[in-house]
Amino acid sequence: MTKSPTITFPDMTRRGLGALPWIAAAGVLAYAFFVGGYLTTVMSFALIYVVFVTGLNVFMGYAGQVSFGHNAFAALSGYTSAYLTTSHGFAPLPAFGAGLALALSCALIVGYPTLRLKGHYLAMATLAIGLIVYEVAVEWTSVTQGYMGISGIPPIGIAGYEITSERGQLAFLTVIVALATLVSWRIRESRFGRALSAVAGSEDAARALGISASRYKLSAFLASAAFAALAGSLFVHVVGFVSPEVYGLHMVVLAFTMLYVGGIGTIAGPFVGAVIISLLPEMFRQFKDYQDLAYGAALILLLIYAPRGLSTISSLFRRAAAKKAVVS
Amino acid sequence: MSKMLTTGFAALVAAGLMTAAPAVAQEPYKIGMSAGLTGYAATVDRAWRDGVEVAIAALNAKGGIMGRKLELVVEDNKSEPQEAVTVYRKMMSSDKVNIFISGCVSAGNFAAAGLVARAEIPMVLCSILPQQPDQVKWAFSTLPPAGFEVDTRLKYLMDKTQIRKIGVLHDPTPYANLQKNHAQKVAADYGLEVVGVESYKQDDADLSVQISKMHAAGARAILKIGLGGTTLTAAKNIKQLGLDMLMLTSLEDIAVFKPVAEVLGDKFFFVASPSQVYDVLPDGPLKAALTAFLTPWRAKHGDRDPNWASRGWDAVMLTAAAIEKEKSFEGPKVRDGLESISGFQGTTGVYNMSPTVHQGITTNPLLLATIVDGKVKVVQ
Amino acid sequence: MTEAGSAATRVLDVAGLSARYGHIEALHPTDVRVEDRELVAILGPNGAGKSTLMRAIMGLVENAGTVRFRGRPLPRRAPEACAADGVVLVPEGRGIFGPMSVAENLELGAYLSGSKAEFERRQERVFSLFPRLKERLSQVAGSLSGGEQQMLAIGRALMSDPKILLLDEPSLGLAPRVVEEILGSLSALNREGLPILLVEQKAPLALKIAQRAYLLSVGRVIAEIDPRKVSSYDEIAHYYLS
Repeated sequence: MTKSPTITFPDMTRRGLGALPWIAAAGVLAYAFFVGGYLTTVMSFALIYVVFVTGLNVFMGYAGQVSFGHNAFAALSGYTSAYLTTSHGFAPLPAFGAGLALALSCALIVGYPTLRLKGHYLAMATLAIGLIVYEVAVEWTSVTQGYMGISGIPPIGIAGYEITSERGQLAFLTVIVALATLVSWRIRESRFGRALSAVAGSEDAARALGISASRYKLSAFLASAAFAALAGSLFVHVVGFVSPEVYGLHMVVLAFTMLYVGGIGTIAGPFVGAVIISLLPEMFRQFKDYQDLAYGAALILLLIYAPRGLSTISSLFRRAAAKKAVVS
Repeated sequence: MSKMLTTGFAALVAAGLMTAAPAVAQEPYKIGMSAGLTGYAATVDRAWRDGVEVAIAALNAKGGIMGRKLELVVEDNKSEPQEAVTVYRKMMSSDKVNIFISGCVSAGNFAAAGLVARAEIPMVLCSILPQQPDQVKWAFSTLPPAGFEVDTRLKYLMDKTQIRKIGVLHDPTPYANLQKNHAQKVAADYGLEVVGVESYKQDDADLSVQISKMHAAGARAILKIGLGGTTLTAAKNIKQLGLDMLMLTSLEDIAVFKPVAEVLGDKFFFVASPSQVYDVLPDGPLKAALTAFLTPWRAKHGDRDPNWASRGWDAVMLTAAAIEKEKSFEGPKVRDGLESISGFQGTTGVYNMSPTVHQGITTNPLLLATIVDGKVKVVQ
Repeated sequence: MTEAGSAATRVLDVAGLSARYGHIEALHPTDVRVEDRELVAILGPNGAGKSTLMRAIMGLVENAGTVRFRGRPLPRRAPEACAADGVVLVPEGRGIFGPMSVAENLELGAYLSGSKAEFERRQERVFSLFPRLKERLSQVAGSLSGGEQQMLAIGRALMSDPKILLLDEPSLGLAPRVVEEILGSLSALNREGLPILLVEQKAPLALKIAQRAYLLSVGRVIAEIDPRKVSSYDEIAHYYLS
C-alpha cells in the first residue's frame, strides 16, 4: 500500500463529509431548478416522494414499526383532492384538509386496534388496507372513474394565484420538503422522538419505564399517515391527473427502496434516498432494455457498500480511513 | 473542496446547455413514443412500436416526408402513469420531439396530456382519448370506437343464431368498461337481452362462478371483453361446466386464440381486425392499404399478429398525410391537418376526422371470425 | 424470619397471580410479598417461571390475580401505569436502548418526571452508585461492556425514582467479579431503604444479600426460605433437583 498522508481524519473534514449527501442532493435540485429540462419533472416527483418517505421514516425509522400500506393514505387524500376540486369546485387547500381528515380517520381505524397488539398485526392490516383502497379506486367508478382516472385537476394555488410553471412547482415542493424535513428533525429531537426510539429499541423496556408504547406507536402512525396524505394530494395537483396505478403497490416498494438507500431512521435519509432513487433510472436511460438491470445492479452495490444508507456515508469514509490507517 | 464543487457544478450546467443547443436545419422530424414496453401493456405496445418502426422505415426509404427524414424516440413508461409523465417530459425537453405517437397505456397518456397540450404538440394514440376538452384538442386515436367490437358480435347473434339472452364478462379496464356499457345500451336494438354482467380481474385463475351465474340467468352466449389469459380460462370453465354456450371475445392477438379454439371448437368466435384476416379479404382499397403495410411487416416479422402493429402504421401514415396536406411540420399545423383528414384509407378502416371526432374510424371495419381446423374463417 | 407485616408496611402483595402465553399457563396462582425495606429473592431453575412472574407483576403478559402496591391494586394490563406508581422493572437482557447514548438512556429513565432539578438529583445518585456511567455518558449504549450495560439498565430504572425495584436476572452473562459488583450495588440501594424483588438463578449469591427468598419450580412457589436458616446449599440443591 502506498503511503497516505491522510492517516488521521480531521474532524472538520468528517463533518464536511456528513453534509456531503445534503450538498449533493441539493446540488441536483438546484441544477434542476436553474437548468430545467425534464430533470425538473423527475425532481418534482422525487420531492413528492421525499414527503411520503419522511412520513414512513417517522413510523419505521423512529418508531421501529412496519407498514406496507401507506400508499392507502396517499390514495385517500389524493383522490379526495382530485374529486373535490374537479367535481365540487373546492380550492386545493380545503380539499386537502378533507383528504387529510379522511386519511387520518382511516389510519386511526386501522391503527387503534392493531397497534395495541405486539407483532405483525399492523403490518398485515396495512397491507390489506393498501389493497382495499386500490380496489375501491378501481371499482367505485362514479367517484374515481376507475382506471380512466380523474383528469383536469387544477394546479396548486396560494391565495388565488395558481402555480402552473414547472419551476414554480419545484420551488413550492422544495419549500414543502424543507418544512417536512424540519418537522421530522423536530420530532426526532423531541421527547416524543426519544420515546419513539425507546419503543423501537425494546417495547417492553419502554413500557416498564412508563412509556405508553401503544399510544406512541399510534401517534407515530398518524403522523406518518399525514405525511403520506400530503404527498398523495401534492401528486394529483402537480400532475393534474390521478388513476389507481399511481398509488399501487409499486409506490410502497419504491418508498422502501428510498428509505433504505437513503438511510432509515436518519433525518437526511428520505431526501437523499428519494433523490438518488429517482435519478438512478434516468442515469441508465440510454441503456434502453438494460435500464432495469443497471438500476438493480446499482441498488445492490449501494446496499452492499452503504448498508446503513447513503446519508451515513461519512461513517463509511471514517471506516475506510481507519482501515487504511491499520493497513499502512 | 468548495472550488471543486463549483467547477463540477459549472461543468454540469455547461453539459446541460449544450444539449439545449439550437436545432440544425433539416434535422429529422422526431416522433416520440411513450409505450408500456414492460408491465401489463407490453404485448400490445411492443407490437404498436414495431408497426410504427416499419412505417417509419418505409417512409424514410422513400426520402421521408417532404424530404425530411423521420426519427423515432421510444421510452418505456412501464405501463404506469407517473413514469409516463417523466418520459413524455423527457422526450419534450431533451429530445425535442415534434409529435407523439404513443401506445395504449390510457392512464399514462391522460396523465401527460395536459403537459403535451400546453406545449402544442399533437399526439396520435393507440389508447382511448383524454376527457378534458383542452387536451382532446391535441389528441387523436387510431382505435375504432369501443362499441364497434360489441356491435359486430351482437349483429352476428341476431342474424345467425337463435340466441336472445346474453351475458357480458369483462375486466375493469376503461376500454372494457366502455364496451360493457355499450353492450348494455344497444343490446335491445339487436333484439337481445343482457341477463348478466360480471367482472373479473386480469389475473383471475377461475371464472366458473361468473359463467355459471350468467348461464343460470338464461344467457346462452357470453361476450368476453378483455385481453389475456382469462379468455382461455373462460373457455376451459365453460367446457368443464358442460355448458352449451357460445363465447365471443374481443379483438386480440390471434396467437392467444388458437388454444381457445381447441377447447371450445365451433362455439368460439372472435372479433377480428382486417389485417388479421388479410388472406380471405376481397380485393379493394382496404386490401391495397393492407398490402402496403403487410409486405414490409411480414418481411421483418413473419406471421406475427399484425393487428396492433397495423394501427401503429396507420398512426404514422396519418401524420404524414397531415403534414403533406398542411405543408408544415409545425405542431399546430399538423394538428389542424390531422383534424381535417377525411376518407383516408388505413389498414383498419377509413379515417374521417373532424373537430368533434378525433377517433377517426367511423364505420365499423371489424369482422367476426372463428378458427376451423386451425384456419381462421370469417363468419361475418 | 421477617413475619408478615401489617398491610400498611407491606410494599408489594401478590395474591393468586397466574400468567399465560396463549393456552399455556406458565405461572400457576402464586402468592409473593415484599415488606418495607426488604430485599426478596426469587430463586429457581431455568424455566421455573421466574421471569414470567416478574412480567406478570408488571402486566407485561396476560395474567390474572391481584397485585397490591402499598395497599392499592395495580392495573393488570398496563406496565406504564405500574411504572408511574413507582413499580419499575429492569427486564431480563437489560433492555437498554443500544443505538442511543448513555445520557439518552438515562433521560428516558426519567421520562415521567418533568423537573430539571429532580433530574439532576437522580442523575447524581446514579453516578455515585455507578461512577463509570458518568465517564461513558456520551458513548453509544450498545458499545458498553455487559457489566456496564447492566449498570446502565439499573441506573436508568433508578432515574424514574422507583418505590420498588424489580430485577430480572441482572447477573445473566456477566463475569463473576462483575456480578458481585452489581449485587453489591443492589445491596447498598436496599440498605438505603429501597425495597427490591430480585430474580436470580445463582442462588448462593442472591441469598447473601436477600432477607427472604422464594423458590419457584414449574410455575409454582414451592418453598419460602430464610437465608439465615440455610445451613448448607445442599438444601436448595435438593429443591432444584426434585
